[in-house]
Amino acid sequence: MAIAQAMCTSFKKELLEGTHNFKNSGGGTFKLALYAEGSGGKSSTTATLGATTTAFTTTGEVASSGTYATGGGSLTRVDPTTSGTTAFTDFADLSFTTATITAMGALIYNSSASNKAVCVLDFSSNKSSTAGTFTIQFPTADASNAIIRIA
Amino acid sequence: MFKVGVSQVGAVNVMTSDKGGLTNEQLADLAVDKIVSISDQAPPHIRQQAKAFREHLKKVLYHYLVLARKEERGSIIHILRSNGQKEMAEYIRRL
Repeated sequence: MAIAQAMCTSFKKELLEGTHNFKNSGGGTFKLALYAEGSGGKSSTTATLGATTTAFTTTGEVASSGTYATGGGSLTRVDPTTSGTTAFTDFADLSFTTATITAMGALIYNSSASNKAVCVLDFSSNKSSTAGTFTIQFPTADASNAIIRIA
Repeated sequence: MFKVGVSQVGAVNVMTSDKGGLTNEQLADLAVDKIVSISDQAPPHIRQQAKAFREHLKKVLYHYLVLARKEERGSIIHILRSNGQKEMAEYIRRL
């Protein structure tokens, strides 16, 4: 599979090295970039993203359209917290409007740390908007569903 | 092997629209998904109750989303009329 949902292995190492800060106040700048499989991306390139992805790449990224600009949209951080023995963090939902986009997945990366990759999101199927809204809703921020969890 | 921890990535929900923004129905779905999540491991009667609550909540949210859009249009129409843009105000009123 060209896009496989995963927490990037390099990110796990970087967490131990203190590279990433998800705090709402003073944290890094995290971005979400959209990717296509097949001909949906720039220059008909196909994205290959997964656990081995280490940094943001333009290969397979969807083209700028509406409020989506290449490089992706900035995410609004939510302070990391814990529930039971699980630590997790969350982001506010992200929307791109008046956009014509076809995307199969996304990459969250830290643009204030040399664009280092955080995780890959697989949408399972192509999601398309035509001169419309493309919204990414993050899961409920709890120990079982949150976008980034460490149990 | 003794496993100290497991790191996981949650599943996102993607909602899209064509030729315009998301509908009231789509927005209600997004809101409900954010408020209510039902565990697969919950007992059947709890799941049933949670599903019923979810449906009720969606109807309430949908109603107020429709109302919110209507009220906002009303405010926009008032501003346009106050500034002499009667034709544009009428166009928005008919939306």
